[in-house]
Amino acid sequence: MAPRRGTTRRRFLQTTALAAAGLAAPKAFSAAAPDLKLKKPIKIGCQTILSGPLGGYGEFMRKGATLAMEQINAAGGIGGSPVEMNFRDEELKVDVGVKNARYFVDDWGADFLIGIDSSAVALAVGEIMPTLNKVLIVTHGATEKYNEDLVYKRHVRQCFRVCVPVYQDGIASALVAKDLPVKRWATISPDYEYGHTSWKMFRAYLKRFKPDVEFVGESFAKFGTVDFSSHISKVMGLNPEGIFSTEWGGEAVTMVKQAKLFKVFENTKAFMIGMGSAMDVLQGLGADYPDGTWASGRYYFGYPDTPENKKFVADFRKRFDTYPSYPSETAYTAVYALKKAVEKAKSIETEKVIEALEGMELDRPAGKCVIRKEDHQAVYAVPWGQIKHDPKFPMPILTNLKVFSTDEYYRKPPFAPVEG
Amino acid sequence: MLFQGLVGLSEAMYLWLVAAGLSLIFGVMRVLNFAHGSLYMLGAYFAWVAFRISGSFWVALLAGPLLVGAAGWAMEFGFLRRVYSAPEAFQLLLTFAFVLILDDAVKLVFGPVYQSPPTPAALSGAVLIGRSILPTYHLFILGVGALVGLGLWLFLEKTSFGLVIRATAADREMARALGVRSSRLFTWVFVLGAILAGLGGALSMPVRAISPGMGEFIIIEAFVVVVLGGLGSLRGAFLGSVLIGLLHAYGLLFMPVFELALGYMAMALVLIVRPWGLFGVREG
Amino acid sequence: MRVRVIAGAAIAAIVLLLPLVAGPFLRYLVLNMLLLALLALSFNLLFGMTGLLSFGQGAYYAGGAYAAALLLRAGVPMLWSILLGALAAAALAAVLGAFCVRHTRIYFSMLTLAFGMLVYAVVWKWTDVTGGDDGLIGIPRGRLGLPGPLDFSLDSPVRYYLFAAILVLISMAILHRLSASPLGLALQAIRENAERAEFSGIRVRRTIYIAFVTAGLFAGLSGALLAPLEQTVSPSTAHWTKSAEPVMATLIGGPFSFLGPIVGAVVYLGLKEIIVRFTEYWLLVFGLVLLATVLTFRSGLVGAAADLIARKRRA
Repeated sequence: MAPRRGTTRRRFLQTTALAAAGLAAPKAFSAAAPDLKLKKPIKIGCQTILSGPLGGYGEFMRKGATLAMEQINAAGGIGGSPVEMNFRDEELKVDVGVKNARYFVDDWGADFLIGIDSSAVALAVGEIMPTLNKVLIVTHGATEKYNEDLVYKRHVRQCFRVCVPVYQDGIASALVAKDLPVKRWATISPDYEYGHTSWKMFRAYLKRFKPDVEFVGESFAKFGTVDFSSHISKVMGLNPEGIFSTEWGGEAVTMVKQAKLFKVFENTKAFMIGMGSAMDVLQGLGADYPDGTWASGRYYFGYPDTPENKKFVADFRKRFDTYPSYPSETAYTAVYALKKAVEKAKSIETEKVIEALEGMELDRPAGKCVIRKEDHQAVYAVPWGQIKHDPKFPMPILTNLKVFSTDEYYRKPPFAPVEG
Repeated sequence: MLFQGLVGLSEAMYLWLVAAGLSLIFGVMRVLNFAHGSLYMLGAYFAWVAFRISGSFWVALLAGPLLVGAAGWAMEFGFLRRVYSAPEAFQLLLTFAFVLILDDAVKLVFGPVYQSPPTPAALSGAVLIGRSILPTYHLFILGVGALVGLGLWLFLEKTSFGLVIRATAADREMARALGVRSSRLFTWVFVLGAILAGLGGALSMPVRAISPGMGEFIIIEAFVVVVLGGLGSLRGAFLGSVLIGLLHAYGLLFMPVFELALGYMAMALVLIVRPWGLFGVREG
Repeated sequence: MRVRVIAGAAIAAIVLLLPLVAGPFLRYLVLNMLLLALLALSFNLLFGMTGLLSFGQGAYYAGGAYAAALLLRAGVPMLWSILLGALAAAALAAVLGAFCVRHTRIYFSMLTLAFGMLVYAVVWKWTDVTGGDDGLIGIPRGRLGLPGPLDFSLDSPVRYYLFAAILVLISMAILHRLSASPLGLALQAIRENAERAEFSGIRVRRTIYIAFVTAGLFAGLSGALLAPLEQTVSPSTAHWTKSAEPVMATLIGGPFSFLGPIVGAVVYLGLKEIIVRFTEYWLLVFGLVLLATVLTFRSGLVGAAADLIARKRRA
């Protein structure tokens, strides 16, 4: 389970590993690339969290993007031009994120940018995109401010996002919760904007569906918390029946382990973790992940049950010897979306690519998806499911998948403020 | 209500182990070891490796701290002792350099992603306290923390080596005049401090995710603790840890908005009002 | 003396003429170096001159950044936003400094660290004003703010670069004069022997206090200039890891000369930018550089260079 070491920030060029692995581009994305006589190579800069307790995400994102790049290059590139990628650590810091973006565009010559895990970084980088004037496709940062404010209200058109935002954690979760026999909810979530917003959305939407529900307690853990004990004891002292959490990465792993020690799972009827189906969390917890825990993410490898998805998972496993996590799929999709857009526009000019991306339909591993014109947000369905240990898989998986129509939980323009 | 305090106390024990070493080192050597949190991190990693090799949690608990002791020895003997005659600022900066080096060294060897070792089955249970449930592991930690406290007290009060340490901490010049070989003493004290920090890390290994940079969070908290308790005072380190643990636990209940700031407020307050801390010695 | 003037003029020329030859990223990098140099100079006002190690300059850097950001967002022209931002930081330093200067050595360092992190905590939580952990974004550049024909728009990156660079160079000149002024000499006397300084009539605590507030002013200026550069300000500006940057830069360049922090800032950021292209492990390289500096080049690069020159002259 230890990540492959030795992956550096070296530019990823076409590799012979690709030939050895014999990978071919998936049908939905391919079509022999005609030579559009574009710039060679086409450069994509990707920044993601590559270090610290949340570093698992970056590793998986890098793998997903790399797979896409290798497949595309094996099939002739984007419009005949090979793709070159460069990866940098965003460190979840705004100033680092902005510096990376500038480095990619101003110094390295990136034509496109993808990546970004932290919501704050996504907003800050989005802010300078008009100056850099390249397309940015966010693949993990989930704040609703990115699509609702930056793109829709303020018309920063260079910004796009292919991953489902906080709607998955805050609203789809409410759709699941309304059918659970839980009347008293509490939360243990990260103490930053994202943690507060997702809890607020959950409360607002759940109350609509189930007016007799109570929210008995909340505990927000500061960034870098390694011991959730006090938070757990505080919240459990209020006798909740269900716990809601948007902790992610290594912090989610620590929280679940410690909650387990405190017998939280035995004393509550439901535990929901918005980003609990990330592969590093599934692998990190392993046998310690209690069955029945509700988890979701931005993509789950077992859904949908389509040949495209199966192929993506198989290709990924063959190349990296592990199942894909959701940042892998979103990064993979981002690269392919760029390919499709560039080939449709027959150009890498930002304005033309923007037009090509708006309204574009994609057949991605996660299913069918549309990139909305109004806010450049990709709309696709992601399931919530319950953790189950299945001997056929090396890590726990999701079962009892609940998939909702995107109409039910993706907020739509004109984006009224969230009450609650 | 009281239960929350109990939980806070068990959290405090990790802090106590790190702060104890930090205080000891400062008391005797007048060096504020910025890298003490990194030694804690090494403890967690070494213990994890030992666990993977031996399959036994107890072996890991023993091997981890000892290996950190060795690392501490290398650090002191190879580098720190060269700057004893330099201004304090440079000593602090040397230890800071080690923070950077160790963080990346760990990342290089183990990878940047966090690791999450499994909890030993023997300690995964829980006990009922009143109406609340406390994990057995937390009781175990409380026990270890108390034992270490007792052990250190006995060591300092009842052994001759402890006497030498106390004497040197109280008055370095005098101790040297009386024939104490400070260079060897310093090495031993540093190693002891490192072992304590390593023990803290090893104990945290089964219940927390470990990752490069994990030392940075705890060193700042340890600074707060030793400032509160008094730089150089072990009793102060213990009580300071307890205070911070309780402050954190109850702060969450009553003033959660201040969670981030509480420790620093306490630290600033003590420094302003009584800089030598609760149990420190007023410097001339 | 003449050497210094020439050196100063050379630096100014290189900095101001840079946009003619450099691409946007290099310009951006150099501007960051200038801001760090200013921050490091402010730090060294305390460290190099009085021996007091402040681990919390981030508090004033952030203070200046947020104040300027809020003013710019409210429509105040650039020059005034920047200057008022710096003054706000100085005000903060005046308040916090009153407590800090009562202590020395370790206690001083610890208190500056505590205050720095307190500012961080306040900025993080006070979402209504500071934007919380998302920070303040969309900071406009607007117009210069001088009357009449001088009221340029500073929206273009080159113009902003020149504006910020000029302010930094002026600040450096001021700080340089300060170090040779009675205040500077008093500070040096305090570093040598505080007791003796007191006896010779220098009011130690008051002098240190003035230095502290001045350091806060220039740290705040550096932060204020950051706000329109990134058009985003975030809490990390107050974190102790930011406060550690001027410390490292000064140490690498050498705390005992005026040029030291400037050279250190250039080397620190330049090295980081280069290393990061080859390996992710730049902290390791840095740590090793820092280690080497502490163990051998106690007076930093500038000091080592000066020694070398002196030795060559003697030979």
